[in-house]
Amino acid sequence: MITVLRGGHIVDPATGRDGVGDVWFEDDRIIAPPISGKADVEMDVSGHVVMAGAIDIHSHIAGGNVNTARLLLPELHRAMRARLEGTPLSTAKWSTYETGRLYAQMGFTTVVEPAMAPHHALQTHLELNDVPIIDKGALTVLGNDAFLLEMLRKNEAQGAINDYVALTVAQTHSLGLKCINPGGCEGFKENMRAFGLDDVVPFYGVTSRQIFQTLQKATASVGVHHPLHLHMNNLGIAGNIQTALDTMDAAQGLPLHLAHVQFYAYGAEGKHGFSSASARFAEKINANPNISVDVGQVMFSDTVTISSDVLKQFNSMSGGIPRKGAIFDGDANGGGVVPYVYKISNYYNAVQWAAGLELFLLINNPEQVYFTTDHPNGGPFTAYPELFALLMSADRRAQVMARLPAEALEQTTLPSLTREYSLYEIAQMSRSGAAKLFGFKDRGQLGVNAIADIAVYKPSKDIAAMFRRAALVFKDGDLVVREGAVTHYRTGKTLHISPGFDKNIHRRLDGYYDELYGLPRTIFDVSEAALPKENRFSEVACRN
Amino acid sequence: MSKASLDGKEITVEAAYAHAADILRDSTFPVVAGLGADIAGARAAILLAERLRGAFDHLAAHEILADLDVLRSFSMFSTTPNEARVRADCILFVGPGLTQLWPEMLTRLAPAASPKHGAQAGAPRHLFWIGAQANEAAGLGATLIDATPDGVADVLAQLRACIGERPVRQDAAELDKIVKLAQTLKAAHFSVVIWSASAGIDTLAIEMLQGVVADLNVTTRATGVPIGARSGAAGVTQAAGWMTGFPPRTGFGRGYPEHDSWRFDAKRLVESGEADAALWISSYDGEAPPWSRADVPLITLAPRGKEPGHGLYIEVGRPGVTHDAVEYAQDIGAMTLRKATAPSAEPDVSAVIHAIMAHLSEKTS
Repeated sequence: MITVLRGGHIVDPATGRDGVGDVWFEDDRIIAPPISGKADVEMDVSGHVVMAGAIDIHSHIAGGNVNTARLLLPELHRAMRARLEGTPLSTAKWSTYETGRLYAQMGFTTVVEPAMAPHHALQTHLELNDVPIIDKGALTVLGNDAFLLEMLRKNEAQGAINDYVALTVAQTHSLGLKCINPGGCEGFKENMRAFGLDDVVPFYGVTSRQIFQTLQKATASVGVHHPLHLHMNNLGIAGNIQTALDTMDAAQGLPLHLAHVQFYAYGAEGKHGFSSASARFAEKINANPNISVDVGQVMFSDTVTISSDVLKQFNSMSGGIPRKGAIFDGDANGGGVVPYVYKISNYYNAVQWAAGLELFLLINNPEQVYFTTDHPNGGPFTAYPELFALLMSADRRAQVMARLPAEALEQTTLPSLTREYSLYEIAQMSRSGAAKLFGFKDRGQLGVNAIADIAVYKPSKDIAAMFRRAALVFKDGDLVVREGAVTHYRTGKTLHISPGFDKNIHRRLDGYYDELYGLPRTIFDVSEAALPKENRFSEVACRN
Repeated sequence: MSKASLDGKEITVEAAYAHAADILRDSTFPVVAGLGADIAGARAAILLAERLRGAFDHLAAHEILADLDVLRSFSMFSTTPNEARVRADCILFVGPGLTQLWPEMLTRLAPAASPKHGAQAGAPRHLFWIGAQANEAAGLGATLIDATPDGVADVLAQLRACIGERPVRQDAAELDKIVKLAQTLKAAHFSVVIWSASAGIDTLAIEMLQGVVADLNVTTRATGVPIGARSGAAGVTQAAGWMTGFPPRTGFGRGYPEHDSWRFDAKRLVESGEADAALWISSYDGEAPPWSRADVPLITLAPRGKEPGHGLYIEVGRPGVTHDAVEYAQDIGAMTLRKATAPSAEPDVSAVIHAIMAHLSEKTS
């Protein structure tokens, strides 16, 4: 079936389009206008903005730590309205089903869960499988796992480490590698309470720097598109800008993605010893095109922090609101869950909010900076529309700034920044750039042969309202959202890559699991047979 | 071949599916109970409860909620059996019958071996057991501290006081051993407490145990491994969590999930008459429902040989025995796929529920 969307304002950075035109698609793919000029379905979208479906590159939507948070905080997610026909559990707050519905309503069609523990990969996939409508992917976490640390201790060849990395990514069905406080979680098991870039992991004698550099090389060598996705040391600590700058200097000129960098953009100025260092951070990023970042914007809300940085989460326990939490020492990273409330009246939270926006506004290339809130750590993903509004309107920012503690504003450059993102730049950040970051050739754009994931928005003076409720959303060419409401479910795919490796690594790992754990390694397998049969994995090609 | 029966008289499986759908359709507030099922079965059962605007409960909800209430009102430290095995230099077992509740426990934790990771690698492992069953700890070389299940909380309170160097009753039983345990835990690098709500220890005891762990973490490292409850409880709780946000004892009467551990207790719902139909699922071992009332229409899904005398019965296979099944494995503290050990053709819970649902249209108003 051929459909044409007529007369919309098409914003599609991948093809350079930014003007009124038509979008044609046949079944699930974008097509060139047919010679006949005839479509089975014609939809007039004049007066609307048409973009590809958005891609969220970093959002904690699935896995054991997320589920612990759900069970820890029943009071945070009371439901309050019945669901519509045909969408079971879509109003069950914080459920996988609601997650799919809410993303789709905002015009998002692909979301990446950034922290899948290898030994808990099956649960992550079970949860992702129960997120309807959208496509999903995940990043596998390495860097605190005993096998890797032991290889580093023995100073093994990079090739052997590459095999291990490729095997782990392939077997856990992910899109690449995440590294979370490399060595720091192992250090916490050894009773360390702080862990910096050059601190040495006890027992293994390697530093955080060595761990991430090795994984960076491995990622680049085995054909993973996505650069190593690094959650640096010293998250959330005043003065941690130095960690971030040192980390970027250590990046060897190789691609590196730094996660939720707002949480590292802190100086120690002012009478509270806590200030924004975003200007220095952004300057460094502008000078290093090999680095990409997502922001982890703080949005004022009741939320919960979920992280595989167990050391950091343990240190946060005493400041939890309400004061409770879960600390899990996993086979490798584990995880910590601590509830928190970001208050507009709180000096520190206000500096965090401002620091995040400064990063967005001071980093020049929208394909180098991504719009996350590190859901739910800085705020829920449902705050993206409000975030886009803040980026697109200096007036909107001024309105919020007027409510912040004045002394907080003194510690940032935000009041002096007048930049306003255009729709085109929003689309670069949320569509074309995000697709490039994961090597997606057929999403994040409206070019011919791309997947017909399309979001149509009705412009409004209230920019957040425009992005909150898409007028129309097509997933694989299927109209799933009308006037901001999901009409029905579909089953999305889970995207993954299959890098190659020397099969000898299997035997070695089998022996290792047998000797250390007394277990067959297969007990941790993610086999397709383990997932509900409607599940569909979809492979993304590796980089050549 | 599967079989089905109505009040003990054999009927066709197809007739049973249709009759089950009739019972559920005609009810105002059905409860999906037992929920002794693998992940696929739990998913299907929860979706059925949601479609019917009924409630769901698990047969071991009391034990599930004993741990969860500590998590959600206090805090919880936990780790995996693997980490306990390779890293713990002190293991404290709490409560009786742990070796029956987790038959592989001593194999998995290898308590007699030394830890392999950390500064403590190669050092002897210290073992303690509060309230062990007679002979359960024989040959383990553990220091045994006597306590009844009801007395475990008191021993843990004394232990916590000793760790915090607060005064304790000097005439308390086993005080010398408790003092030694406190000293050992404080000196250890990585202690692990093993407990189970199924061993008859209550929420207050579990909270005290987690309080001990939290206090130890001020100066050293300590954590715990909970032993999950029977009939797939841990896995069902995980699935309920991601599907609804809540653990078992959740209802959908208003068209959205509400969790209330008293309101949606299946036994209470049936005995009070608030539930006017029950689907009882117990695919692991055919455990019987806990209620006595027989006039509420009952559909039972249980394995061969566990056919009840009354109501509608549909035979199902056993997870991991007659069919491959995903479940939460105590041995690793994670989900795993269990291959069938004796494959046969009985349908699993998920297949039976899908067959019943095929007869039910949605009611959303």
